[in-house]
Amino acid sequence: MTKPVNLREICLGVLMEITEEEAYSHVVLHQTLEKYQYLEKRDRAFISRTVEGTLEHMIQLDYIIEQFSNVPVYNMKPLIRNLLRMSVYQLKYMDSVPDSAVCNEAVSLAQRKGFYNLKGFVNGVLRNTARRLSQVRYPDPQQEPLHYLSVKYSYPVWMLNKWVSQFGYETTEVMCKDLHMSRGTIVRCNLTKASVEEVIADLTSQGITVRRHPYLDYALEISNYNYIGSVSAFRKGWILVQDVSSMLVSEIAAPNWGDYCLDVCAAPGGKSLHMAEKLMGSGYVEARDISERKVRLMQDTIERSEMINIRAMRMDATLLDEDSRQKADIVLADVPCSGLGVIRKKQDIKYKMSEKQQSDIIRIQRRILTNAQEYVRPGGTLVYSTCTIGADENQFNVKWFLENFPFHLESIDPYICDELKSRTTAGGFIQLLPGVHASDGFFIARLRRDQES
Amino acid sequence: MALRNIRIYGDEILTKPCRPVQMMTPRIKLLIRDMLDTMYDANGVGLAAPQVGILKQIVVIDIGEEGSEALVLINPEILETDGEQTGQEGCLSLPGQAGMVTRPNYVKVKALDENMHERIVEGTELLARAICHECDHLKGIMYVEKVEGDLFEVTDEPEEAAEE
Repeated sequence: MTKPVNLREICLGVLMEITEEEAYSHVVLHQTLEKYQYLEKRDRAFISRTVEGTLEHMIQLDYIIEQFSNVPVYNMKPLIRNLLRMSVYQLKYMDSVPDSAVCNEAVSLAQRKGFYNLKGFVNGVLRNTARRLSQVRYPDPQQEPLHYLSVKYSYPVWMLNKWVSQFGYETTEVMCKDLHMSRGTIVRCNLTKASVEEVIADLTSQGITVRRHPYLDYALEISNYNYIGSVSAFRKGWILVQDVSSMLVSEIAAPNWGDYCLDVCAAPGGKSLHMAEKLMGSGYVEARDISERKVRLMQDTIERSEMINIRAMRMDATLLDEDSRQKADIVLADVPCSGLGVIRKKQDIKYKMSEKQQSDIIRIQRRILTNAQEYVRPGGTLVYSTCTIGADENQFNVKWFLENFPFHLESIDPYICDELKSRTTAGGFIQLLPGVHASDGFFIARLRRDQES
Repeated sequence: MALRNIRIYGDEILTKPCRPVQMMTPRIKLLIRDMLDTMYDANGVGLAAPQVGILKQIVVIDIGEEGSEALVLINPEILETDGEQTGQEGCLSLPGQAGMVTRPNYVKVKALDENMHERIVEGTELLARAICHECDHLKGIMYVEKVEGDLFEVTDEPEEAAEE
């Protein structure tokens, strides 16, 4: 008989791909669970919990490991370092796994992977950690506030530094904490198919917990279900999974009957569909994206939605499309970004982003904005949005944009609930912060093209 | 260390019942050594004599748990089973594939060891599964006859060698 699959070995392989080969956690994890779909639900849950948890707490885990190892984590063999990380995660955060099992499994895994000579090292570090975990001294919040936040919540210091200078220490801690908390899934009711009340009744009848979202009456937070594909309201197309911040984009874009709308970075298509719904069958929404694969997925979603005033097409937003010049009433530019606002769902983002990468992203954002503004007719609207936190990709881009193009900011107060109104919203933009607002981290600005240009 | 050829599914020998071992001989001792070597080399947890082309009632098992040693079961006879487990199972005679098989979660087996002394072995979970799987081989039964649903591909990722 062959050796059965070893769940910890699978976890280790996934972590290696994510931390050493730059693969993205949600992609690799999804592929892995797909490949091992024959495993029992309990085993699949173990894999996702271990991988996601290890990534979520990685800086803290490294800190703990270094208390018990004389070799710094960055100097270890990649396989050994990831093996220690996932094992310490299990010791600290998974009470259901006995400490001895964690140590034994790690040692035999190290051996099986060819590191026979490091068995003793792995064993020593883990047994010491198991014994003295509660005695670990963490950085002091008074003396080393940034280091404290970094180790407690596992954020790189450079990122915290930026946040603290822009939002203050307390707000930064609130955000860090909130990004570690799991939330229910936010869904948008498709009002062309059912009323909000009908949707709630349908969900509740399946035993799903439903909470209305404070910002929008058609946004619901659902929890207590296994798998979204088994939710009847989802299968009927009554609800779509979309964060409320992204719904606010279409609210703020506020299309009028018959408007021609262009979404230049549309995938996965939630905002475009929302726009098409708001147009009530009139006008037209063109959902563009650079990825052929994502465009195909959007086409499927559009077909399921049975809407006729929207289509998906492949187009690279960084290249100018001459034919669209000054054609659109509304252009949505939801640009690629560092994604720091959605870390809750993609924990590895925070380690992959660097200041250098961020400046590359800003260059792409400005190139896309330069093209996107060309498509707006005089008097038309451009909505700029990102799912990130921090002025570099948000306010500074808007400022740069206003200096270079004939646009002005326009108040977004008419489109949002009172709770969200502030000085900046009257000025034309909003920065949503996780923990401060009941949403992902997100930025939205509404810009209008001058009539004479 | 001597490795023997593992017979692959489709080989008629895997469908034939095995004869009990009457007495220990140097040849059988050697066979048992070779079976263990072959099993470890193939990264397996169990191997039955017919899988190396010998129709004798001999199986070797090592599920690789710390503190446990390799089991040699001669003329095994399952006395008792209890409970149920459903899980993935694969066979060295059918490389790269696996299937879901339901087995008892506990088995008690009577067998002779290498010195022809009778012993009783009990096992749960993986060990119970391995005992059932290997004892089936001795009757000419492959796990594919018991698979629920389809067989699926399992890719064995190559082990990485340490650089040090």
